[in-house]
Amino acid sequence: MGTVQLFPQFVSETLGLSGVLGDVVGSLVAAAVVGNIVLAFTGVAGPWAKRKITAAFTDRIAVNRVGPFGLLIIPASAVQLLAKELIVPEGVDRPTWDLAPIVLPASALLGFAVIPMGRLGPVNLQIADPEVGLALVFAFASIASVSLVMAGYASNNKYSMLGGLRAVAQNLAYEIPLIVTAMSVVIFAGTLQTSGIAAAQADVLFSVGGFDVPTWYAFVNPFAFVLFLTANMAEIGRNPFDIPEAPTEIVAGYQTEYSSAYFVLFYLGEFVHIFLGGAILALTFLGGAAGPGPESIGFLWFVVKIWGFFLFTQWARSALPRVRIDQLIEIGWKGMLVLSFANLVLTAVIVGVIA
Amino acid sequence: MSLEAPDTPETDDVPERTPDELEALLGDLVVDRDDHLNAPGFVIRPDTVQETLSRLKSAAGYDHLSLVTAQEYENRYESIYHLKKFDDPTQEVSVVVPADKDRPVSESGEAVFRTADWHEREAYDLIGIEYDDHPDLRRILLPETWQGHPLSMDYDRDRPQIATLPAHANPLEEHHLDAESDTMFLNIGPHHPATHGVLHLKTILDGEQVIDVEPDIGYLHRCEEQMAQSGTYRHQIMPYPDRWDWGGGGLLNEWAYARAAEDLADIEVPEYAQVIRTMGAEMCRIAAHMLALATFALDVNGDFTATFMYAINDRERVQNLLEDLTGQRLMFNYFRLGGVVWDLPEPREEFFSKTRDFLDQLPGSVEEYHDLVTANEIFQMRTIDTGILPPEVAKEYGATGPVVRGSGVDYDLRRDDPYGYYDELDWDVVTEDGCDNYSRLLVRMREVEESAKIIEQCVDLLEDWPEDERTIQANVPRTLRPDDDTEIYRAVEAAKGELGIYIRADGTDKPARFKIRSPCFSNLQTLPEMANGEYIPDVIAALGSLDIVLGEVDR
Amino acid sequence: MIGLMKSMATTMKHALDGSTFTVEYPEDAPDVSPRFRGVHKFSQERCIWCRQCENVCPNDTIQIVQDDQRNGEQYNLHIGQCIYCRLCEEVCPVDAILLTQNFEFTADSKDEFVYNKEQLKNVPWYKGIDPLESRNPDRGAWIGEGDGEIDYQ
Repeated sequence: MGTVQLFPQFVSETLGLSGVLGDVVGSLVAAAVVGNIVLAFTGVAGPWAKRKITAAFTDRIAVNRVGPFGLLIIPASAVQLLAKELIVPEGVDRPTWDLAPIVLPASALLGFAVIPMGRLGPVNLQIADPEVGLALVFAFASIASVSLVMAGYASNNKYSMLGGLRAVAQNLAYEIPLIVTAMSVVIFAGTLQTSGIAAAQADVLFSVGGFDVPTWYAFVNPFAFVLFLTANMAEIGRNPFDIPEAPTEIVAGYQTEYSSAYFVLFYLGEFVHIFLGGAILALTFLGGAAGPGPESIGFLWFVVKIWGFFLFTQWARSALPRVRIDQLIEIGWKGMLVLSFANLVLTAVIVGVIA
Repeated sequence: MSLEAPDTPETDDVPERTPDELEALLGDLVVDRDDHLNAPGFVIRPDTVQETLSRLKSAAGYDHLSLVTAQEYENRYESIYHLKKFDDPTQEVSVVVPADKDRPVSESGEAVFRTADWHEREAYDLIGIEYDDHPDLRRILLPETWQGHPLSMDYDRDRPQIATLPAHANPLEEHHLDAESDTMFLNIGPHHPATHGVLHLKTILDGEQVIDVEPDIGYLHRCEEQMAQSGTYRHQIMPYPDRWDWGGGGLLNEWAYARAAEDLADIEVPEYAQVIRTMGAEMCRIAAHMLALATFALDVNGDFTATFMYAINDRERVQNLLEDLTGQRLMFNYFRLGGVVWDLPEPREEFFSKTRDFLDQLPGSVEEYHDLVTANEIFQMRTIDTGILPPEVAKEYGATGPVVRGSGVDYDLRRDDPYGYYDELDWDVVTEDGCDNYSRLLVRMREVEESAKIIEQCVDLLEDWPEDERTIQANVPRTLRPDDDTEIYRAVEAAKGELGIYIRADGTDKPARFKIRSPCFSNLQTLPEMANGEYIPDVIAALGSLDIVLGEVDR
Repeated sequence: MIGLMKSMATTMKHALDGSTFTVEYPEDAPDVSPRFRGVHKFSQERCIWCRQCENVCPNDTIQIVQDDQRNGEQYNLHIGQCIYCRLCEEVCPVDAILLTQNFEFTADSKDEFVYNKEQLKNVPWYKGIDPLESRNPDRGAWIGEGDGEIDYQ
């Protein structure tokens, strides 16, 4: 990318390094920073924000004893979870069983490599910007289902098995509409490059009383936005599509047999996955890091968007029942798939006519 | 149902037969008469059970086998089949089947009434009567390895119950596995988030679909019947009914015992106490139905649903009222034989205004639940036309309460077999014709509104009750000794359905036999009918819609 | 779709109105009713050692030891086994045993829940509520002179 300097280059230039050494050091530092930002989000979201949000929806108070607003519950919960005994059930299929909890957060974190998270001052928080960026994100994100199958199959537990199978069925049924809907965005933007998609949404769609409504694809094509949002909820396995876990049906699905650090990894992976889902949504439909104010605070807008998506998942969870597995598959294959292709064809025609 | 406009059409047209007509109908099947306080009793030979029951069922219309009681006497064993009519539960008949002391064998009634299956298994388990032709005569409450029958006379309580390892061998060991089979055996419970307690469902799955499900109960058996048999009528039994259905229905349970014992000892309850009882009981019904709604939402929505907390909040509000009234939030122990223990709390106006405040906010809450649950399309998708229980099947299994009313059967003991103050008040029996999970939930939600109507009328009555007529208890002797060999079976409409108590007195101050007819026990028996062929989530939903409390199933 | 939105609107309404139903126990202890039944308080001064409470107790929670002159020596009550039915208070002719509103008690082992008469005496009133105040008017039904047949077992 010529126009905007990427994060690793910024790091290596600031440190005065060049060549292979500069690339390596720059990439490592950049990856560490981005990874830690995302993990910090999940750290706040998992033990604290989720509890607070759920409590607000259910008229409760939730964590407020440890530290201001109960924020110190985050280290407390972390220590508590990690200090538990790791129980390895008899007959688990190792090392698959050990690898599954690593694959899940890793795949989700990998996705953030190509997400343009916007600028914070002089820094552009994007690690890489390959030409097939969007395809890469989806590819990374769908590794998650492999992890779920690994966990479900290796746990030597029937509930885990059912959860793993459900996860595959669900991901197959919803990944296709998800990607097909994203393709309509690609047709609009004319590029798969993530920074290009974000940049293509910077124009003004129309002005209302001096307020410019940008050409975010959520405004350009709300129908596709709703489709994408729904498929995204299923992809990350949140209500009403949380059937791979479905605690009242199959106990905890694929993660039934996991405890201690392994459980933390799964938990972490799920939250990173939610944030990745939010990031993809922000990127494809909500103008990436765009927002009012100077471009140098773009990252803050990005954070607002992905946390908004997180809030939405929790909101949906408080109110929506979970669908049944056969209904889920039916909605996926008979509804979403057809609608997403209709949307794609329609977009292609419109873009073809206008262009 | 008001006095001005009695709307009990069907109860009037049900032809009632006199005991002598019934005896004529049964002809030479009848060996002897053994009338109970509530119904004529016909003694028959142990090998003519099926013929007797089917004649009573088809020719005389006794289509509801409410309870099978078994007991042991000095010289014989005895099974009693308590029959009723769904159209008019005041028409009752008892079929008394004595069995040989040395070799207690009796013909099974299962071929005539499906519900006899579990009831006879329990009788076999606890008393030791063997039922010929029973399809599956195994222990039901106690473990298979149990030695002896605890309620039989020669039972040795000090005998150690040792389960040897081979007896508990893993049924899923290699040689049990069929490599060719496409099905999977899954244990749902006894520790599972959706079994509402320690219930074990032996499930056979074909993929996600359930081929067969068999409830395995008894994990929570606490010898409630035996405990009641060792307590005095006057005081010691009353605290225990609270501990059967602990979903909030404590006073309803207490009323079941109170009704049976009061009729047995011929105690008249003052009208004022009846109104208080009615009010308290309906508060309990609201509490119980709120819990049912809450947990059903939990089963269908998932474990962070807001509906659960909202419903529990409303339940808390009722419990606050109940705490003011009875002194406890769940284990009330408020009824006494002949009345209630306390008058309304002073200052009365404050209690009335609190109650009215609750009743005023209730319609808003119910509206909210309809928004949250019943109007939700995904919820409808999940619950409508799943867990189908046709009315004929429901009757066959002796299902009662919201379960049978959700199948369109108009059966409510509060109206059909009136007690308390219900027949003086204006309210309706709620039925829904859907026969599915959704209908059963809807029945409960609408019953909450009916209960609120009843409470409101009771509050009006109590407010205007003249101060010098506030008798809360009849004069009851401190020691009750009902006459020897009197037997009674009485039921009330508890939160889950027909909760009946059978008592046999032997002239002492403790019952000789105390048998509980638990509505959940019979309702749970219908689960396989509702669940077979459905998906796992529907089994969970069907179980949730039955609203069982394991404390009442296992007693 | 409308139903889904209604559901979500309902939960959002609850989230935004900011009211909570739960309280911060123990700083904000909920009120208990005057009739609430908690741990027992026993008064040896009042007790006439008639043993009615011991007899009426449904599950043998109360144990009374007397010497051969029928003077009371011990009064033990297992508050962990008690089902708080209040029958002991109900039959007591002299109000020697009362159930306070106090429900806050802990112990490290089961047998610490066996309170002797000293411990029972020292059970504090909860928030200074004397339960007799709220119960007195109704005791007539139990120990009054009523004209019905009353036999004292």
